[in-house]
Amino acid sequence: MPRKKEQGLTNCIRDLRTAASGMTQQDLADQVGVTRQTIVALEGGDYTPSLTLALRIARVFGKPTDEVFQLEQG
Amino acid sequence: MNAMEKVAWAELLVCATAVAAVGLLVPWLGDGAMGGFGLLGFLGFTALFLRQRGNRVITDERDTQIQRTATGLSMGAAWFTLFMGVTALVIWANQERDVVPTRVLTWLIWISFAVLYGVKGLAGVVLYRRHHAA
Repeated sequence: MPRKKEQGLTNCIRDLRTAASGMTQQDLADQVGVTRQTIVALEGGDYTPSLTLALRIARVFGKPTDEVFQLEQG
Repeated sequence: MNAMEKVAWAELLVCATAVAAVGLLVPWLGDGAMGGFGLLGFLGFTALFLRQRGNRVITDERDTQIQRTATGLSMGAAWFTLFMGVTALVIWANQERDVVPTRVLTWLIWISFAVLYGVKGLAGVVLYRRHHAA
């Protein structure tokens, strides 16, 4: 089963991407090795990425993972 | 729509077409209508959706997760169909003290294949829609 949407898990991928000289979803997808549709699902909060993918995304933006993904205290 | 979602739609549509063809042909051809299940052979062309184009990623971890779920559901449904069918045939043959006609077994196998691909396609389509298709 695809990972269930984690309650309280948010990310700022869209903000970081647009701030990075207008990087497109396809650009980011190519850099982290996924399809554009997965980036769309991530930005929409509909998909919880694997740890590896989360680390790759954080590396692309040069940020710590917990700055890209935030988990609210529950 | 990414490549694996196209594959899921193709599985669903080809399977629905095959089942519809069989259903329409039964009144005229009887058991010969099983030939309609041959349309499932077109599923072989779904590999065309997975051709590598440039350096683009064709499938990723999200596709793998969805396909794993869809395959699990479809295998379960197909095995259930097959085993329940065989069980019913065994009970029938035992009560009637008769042999099971080969054509009935052939129908059962074809139907199981149709269930396998139909459920896999349907589950794939639903999961892609639920997990934000684009």
